[in-house]
Amino acid sequence: MTVIADSFRVAWIDFMFIKRNLIIVLVTSLVTPLLYIVAFGYGFGAGAKVDGFDYIAFMIPGVISMSTMTSCFNNVATKVMIQRTYFQSFDELFLCSMKPLAIILGKAWAGMIRSIISCTVLYAIGMAISPDMHLTIGAVAMILICCLTYALLGVVAGMLSNSHLTMTMFTTLVITPMSFLSGTIFSLDALPEIAKDILYILPLSHSTDCIRSTILDTEFPWISLVIIFVYAVIFILISRHVLVKGRN
Amino acid sequence: MSDDHIIHGKGITKKFGEFAAVDNIDVAVKRGEIYGFLGPNGAGKTTTIRVLTTLTPPTSGEIVIEGHTVKGLDDPVKEKVGIIQQHIALDKDVSVSENIWYHAMLHRIPKKVAKERIDRLIKVMDLEPYMDYMAINLSGGWKRRVAIVCALIHEPTILFMDEPTAGLDTQSRHMLWKLIRELNHQGTTIFLTTHYMDEAEELCDRIAILNHGKIIAEGTPTELYDTLGRWAVEYIEEGEKKYRYFHDPAEARSFRDTLDENIQVTTRATNLEDVFLELTGRENTKATEEVEYRV
Repeated sequence: MTVIADSFRVAWIDFMFIKRNLIIVLVTSLVTPLLYIVAFGYGFGAGAKVDGFDYIAFMIPGVISMSTMTSCFNNVATKVMIQRTYFQSFDELFLCSMKPLAIILGKAWAGMIRSIISCTVLYAIGMAISPDMHLTIGAVAMILICCLTYALLGVVAGMLSNSHLTMTMFTTLVITPMSFLSGTIFSLDALPEIAKDILYILPLSHSTDCIRSTILDTEFPWISLVIIFVYAVIFILISRHVLVKGRN
Repeated sequence: MSDDHIIHGKGITKKFGEFAAVDNIDVAVKRGEIYGFLGPNGAGKTTTIRVLTTLTPPTSGEIVIEGHTVKGLDDPVKEKVGIIQQHIALDKDVSVSENIWYHAMLHRIPKKVAKERIDRLIKVMDLEPYMDYMAINLSGGWKRRVAIVCALIHEPTILFMDEPTAGLDTQSRHMLWKLIRELNHQGTTIFLTTHYMDEAEELCDRIAILNHGKIIAEGTPTELYDTLGRWAVEYIEEGEKKYRYFHDPAEARSFRDTLDENIQVTTRATNLEDVFLELTGRENTKATEEVEYRV
């Protein structure tokens, strides 16, 4: 419990930032996913059916899944990198007797909050648009789990990047391709088997399957949930290693 | 280790690649003293402070605080250490008040106690009118005052100050000197790095001189003067300023008498700047900056 309490102490300053900048946070988190819904859902995909659902019902859970990653990752990674390299305020965390896990989770919470806000709005829009979408405890749980996983990925990237340039490179080479190629706006079943196998290495493919199945009430891919947990643990271990051994 | 040492870095080495910024040094600071750490740019002062405060893990060596070897990020003994860094480590996109409260929270200070301490410290640092300002909007001097409050909020028993007066105006510099003396008088051990020799002479009980990552001299100011001689003869010969040091004033006078009477000569007491320049080299700055650039 101390770790959790400490993690909220770590997160407090980021919560204060969100409180001060709530409108900006909300707008910047929502614009891109809303554009996807309009452009792909009503533009290219109007009237189409995928996996037996209207394309818009298929796509919105994918956009929510994409949002859990992009919103969490961008917010956490950039903030951590800035606090480490520009403000150098991250140092204060090392001066307190604080377990590495408390620091890692603390930095993840604020990113999660921002992502949860945008996912909630997208979910509500989806529910209003499509009768195929359902509000379920499973979906809420999966959104939270995915937000945490990608916030942890953000901590890893923020800990490893020393400039905006390296952060941009990571986003361009990892996050952007993953957000498009993980079955968020199209079904991976449409791809050749080998491409599908490769894309299922990415955590977002599994997040998308889990979130989509809980929202559309289809069979839940338990193996994907396990893989997401494995990724979360890997991100924690890398962050911990950098915090303990790699900081200079 | 003697009980009167509050912090002891044993065999500290910190390498960045092949470059040893700190090269197998022993630093022992006595309880209640003001310990000065001098060195040219790139000598390894900041790296030493970062290692001793556990901000950076050493490549080798161990840090003992209050007789307890520091193990891990969550070691409670770290709560005894405070640091005012050379750069001002604040979250600049939140307010001054939020920055200070954040530090109190991180150190798990109960709310009532934190409130009392914050009220007292902001009064000392004249920060009351600025509490709702965004940290980013303060000038460098005021940001440093906020950083000082943040560093003192958990009442550390040893306070590291890395060039705390760099870039401050004269008033702020003297205010900080007064604060350092007061804190020390109240029992806080101070570890101070500075580029200003007058500051080190004014404040420090003991001084170590660091060059190329190694401690090349250590002692009280008086002991350091004695390594050269208490008397300095400063003269200009062939357009170049030269120095000779003597333990005996009679020797200094005799030497002076040997110089051409047309040469401009000054005889004076040896100061810390003499010791520093003689030990680190009068041309050292350029060389060390080149090393720093390569790293």
